[in-house]
Amino acid sequence: MTRFLARKVAATLLLILFCTVAITSFFTYSRLESVLSSLVESRYGVLLYSVKHDVEARLNLGFPLKQLRSIQDGIDREKPSEPDILDIEVFDARGEVLFDTDRGGIGTMAPVEWVRSAAAGGALFSHGDDDARAVGLPLINSLGQVEGAVVLRYPAGYLDEQLSPVIAQLAKEGGLLLLAAALAALLGSYLLFRPVGDSLTAMEAILDTPPEERFAGLDPDASFEERFTAFAAKTREAMDHMRDAAQDVERLDRLL
Amino acid sequence: MAIRLDVTTPLLVRLMALAVLVLVPAMALLSFSSLDHFERGLAPEFNRKAVAVGHDLSDDFERAVAYGIPLDGLVGVQEFLAPALEANAELRYIAVSDAVGKVLYILGAAAGDLEPYYRGADAEKIAAGQAVVFGDYVDVAVPLMVKGQLVGRLHVGMDAGYLRHRFAEMLTDVGVVMVVSLLLGFEILLFVVVVNVSGPLGQAGRVFERVERGDFAHLAWVASQDEVGRFLRRINASIRAADDFFRRLMAYIDEVKSAHFEPSVVEQVALIEARVKFLFRFNAKGAPEPVFERHAVDVRLALFLFVFAEELSRPFLPLFIRTLPGQVPWLFPEMAMAVPIAVFMAFIAVASPWAGAITERLGSRRVFLVGLVPAVLGFVGAGLASSVAEMVVARAATGFGYALITMAAQGYMARSIRSRARTQGLGLFVGAVLTASVCGMALGGVLVDRVGFENVFFTAAGIAVVSGLLAHRLPDPPEERRDVATPGFGDLVELLKNWRFSMLMVFAAMPAKLALTGVVFFLVPLSMADQGLGFGDIARALMVYAVTVVALAPLVSRLADRTGWRAGLVALGGLIGGVGLLAPLIGPGPIPLLVALLCLGVSQGLAASTQLAVIPDICWIECRTMGQTNVFAQVRLLERFGSVAGPLLAAALVPFVGYSGAIAALGTLVVAMAVIFALASLSFGSGPHISSEEGA
Repeated sequence: MTRFLARKVAATLLLILFCTVAITSFFTYSRLESVLSSLVESRYGVLLYSVKHDVEARLNLGFPLKQLRSIQDGIDREKPSEPDILDIEVFDARGEVLFDTDRGGIGTMAPVEWVRSAAAGGALFSHGDDDARAVGLPLINSLGQVEGAVVLRYPAGYLDEQLSPVIAQLAKEGGLLLLAAALAALLGSYLLFRPVGDSLTAMEAILDTPPEERFAGLDPDASFEERFTAFAAKTREAMDHMRDAAQDVERLDRLL
Repeated sequence: MAIRLDVTTPLLVRLMALAVLVLVPAMALLSFSSLDHFERGLAPEFNRKAVAVGHDLSDDFERAVAYGIPLDGLVGVQEFLAPALEANAELRYIAVSDAVGKVLYILGAAAGDLEPYYRGADAEKIAAGQAVVFGDYVDVAVPLMVKGQLVGRLHVGMDAGYLRHRFAEMLTDVGVVMVVSLLLGFEILLFVVVVNVSGPLGQAGRVFERVERGDFAHLAWVASQDEVGRFLRRINASIRAADDFFRRLMAYIDEVKSAHFEPSVVEQVALIEARVKFLFRFNAKGAPEPVFERHAVDVRLALFLFVFAEELSRPFLPLFIRTLPGQVPWLFPEMAMAVPIAVFMAFIAVASPWAGAITERLGSRRVFLVGLVPAVLGFVGAGLASSVAEMVVARAATGFGYALITMAAQGYMARSIRSRARTQGLGLFVGAVLTASVCGMALGGVLVDRVGFENVFFTAAGIAVVSGLLAHRLPDPPEERRDVATPGFGDLVELLKNWRFSMLMVFAAMPAKLALTGVVFFLVPLSMADQGLGFGDIARALMVYAVTVVALAPLVSRLADRTGWRAGLVALGGLIGGVGLLAPLIGPGPIPLLVALLCLGVSQGLAASTQLAVIPDICWIECRTMGQTNVFAQVRLLERFGSVAGPLLAAALVPFVGYSGAIAALGTLVVAMAVIFALASLSFGSGPHISSEEGA
């Protein structure tokens, strides 16, 4: 017999399970991504601090940022130390790129949000788009004024590359666990609702052959089955009574 | 063991056990497995960081040695290394050893702890540049090369437990999601069991009782196609068969009575008719009618989801308002943060009496759905808000919708509750709201860290729409609609003339709400953020309050129904809550705040549903003349004065006494009010109060 109730309950349990797993996976993935990106950014931060230290030392000697040609050599020297770096650039307080390991970028304007983050003068800042993520440090002179920033870009796919083997392995294990849990939910619902269905089927059978005894009255705490039996008996009693009544009427009707 | 089919609890308990069995082990295994995978997967990146630090520092050492300074003759090395150690939280030590592993300089650890490793079995691995684990450290060595010669090594020691610690926070998030899932699961399973099994079979049980008394006038209401639906159809078929037989018999009797020429036969047939009608009752309308029975649980899940959506923003709302670019120049910052919260409460206050009346007039289902429109627009508007003024408008819309929806749900539940279980029935409403608060706050705190303020509001809008889909299927019989007048100011004045009611409102209900909105919704998030705690921490702290209320409310409901000591419990609640709010005076930190939240939770747990349940006793006459729903609407209105005042009063106090001082000041006020109410409640007596009795 098809267990409709079991199916409904199993579907509900599976829905709860899938939603829980989906939300947990989302939170877990974002935590993993955040820890990895903070590690990557702090690693690049080490390199950026080195550049910042050199540039600020020269700025403190009174040279304008634009005239510090040695910065270009410095960033060109640093770039090969990390193969994933797309480019390192230095821009001034207005956002004009003065030095760039990618020479084509020199003279262009840095994105507004980079300039805004640099102007805040805080610690390491980061931004990202579909193609690349950027980590930067503001360049501050001895008077505390922000002169610009040094920014390093790395491919946005770098994090995915690092994460994908872990995620693939976890997805495999998670899938198996989910399957096992789903089977447990199905089996549990079936076992839980089989007695309910059986009990209702058994009661339906009573309606076909209702008990003949008359019930004197039910205990207020009578079980559902006892109340049902009383119902079946009363229905039969009513039918019997009306049948007798119909026979009596018929008999009287035939009287001349 | 056989399950009682018409009772919800046994089946629900078994289903919840199954849900726990399915969810908890799977999620626990998955979480711990994730932890291991993450740690292993991120180890290379972790080590690369150590190498980067090592390379950055090694250049200067190599340069110094290249200038002819011996590696063991450098001065100021510790001062040179210190900034690198301070700037990187995951670094435990930095050491410089000579070519054979003798430690020359070290910062952050003892040389004696490391040298045995540098000179022992791990020396080869170190020489090969591999990361080596020493107890609590992961050591990564960078060679110091001068003119192609190895002169020493720079060792960067990382905290081996750093990654595990970072991911341990993830386990807290998973734990929160698990708790929310189980609570939400409970609500969904309760709905499934009541709607599909215990509700229809309970109703069938009442049909059995009628039939057992000879009443065949009613059928069971059938709405499903499953085993229960088929069973009920079979029951109804039996009743219909009896009804059909009865009508054929009556038709035959009528025919004999009208056509038979022999008066004695007619007389005997009439006697048979009378006997049958005496023994059995059939529907006078010509056929048995299905009896519709509403269950409070019908609306509970929809209400739960809506309140859950609203509560998502609870841990961060004042902090979000603080970040909005368009601040109001003539309001000081705390007041600007408080105004949208107060406006939300004010709209609930103003709309509640009207919402109660139109619920009676239009039915709960329609009012619930109408209320969703401003509520959802408000959520979306809050997500898009770019100024405090826009936020105020958005919160006003949500507050208006909230009033409609909660009054619609409350009205629906009130109609389905039998009076003897009044407190327990109202506890069902309060329970749904509080459980939703726990879940909403908890998930909101975790979610906002991942998706940002705005997206949490959009998520809330989505969940509210789902609640509307559930409300859409609520039964809405037109015969239950009544044309009642919107309770006016006169009704309020009339109610306030009842001194017991006035005492309850002014000295118990309003202070309770004042403490709730002023402390839980406003001061605690701000105070914790001020202490540098994150949204997740704020959410978990607020959960202390909500979980305490959820745990206590049903127990207190039963206690109140059993003992009838309702006013006493309300007074006790007020005293505990007020005293608890003095805890922040003990000292700074999150612990006093948690104590305050716990006491406030106990207070609300004791008072929340008891307060509502005491109303029909102390307003016996008013409930009959104005209608219970309208009286409750006036209660909501008065309570909300406290809710509106809470954040405004708190914001006004903060510039003078700070966050902790403001909490304690509100606590003092609540204690004073609770003492007055406690004294007054001694004269309340028990049972319904009828003014004519008092006058006599």
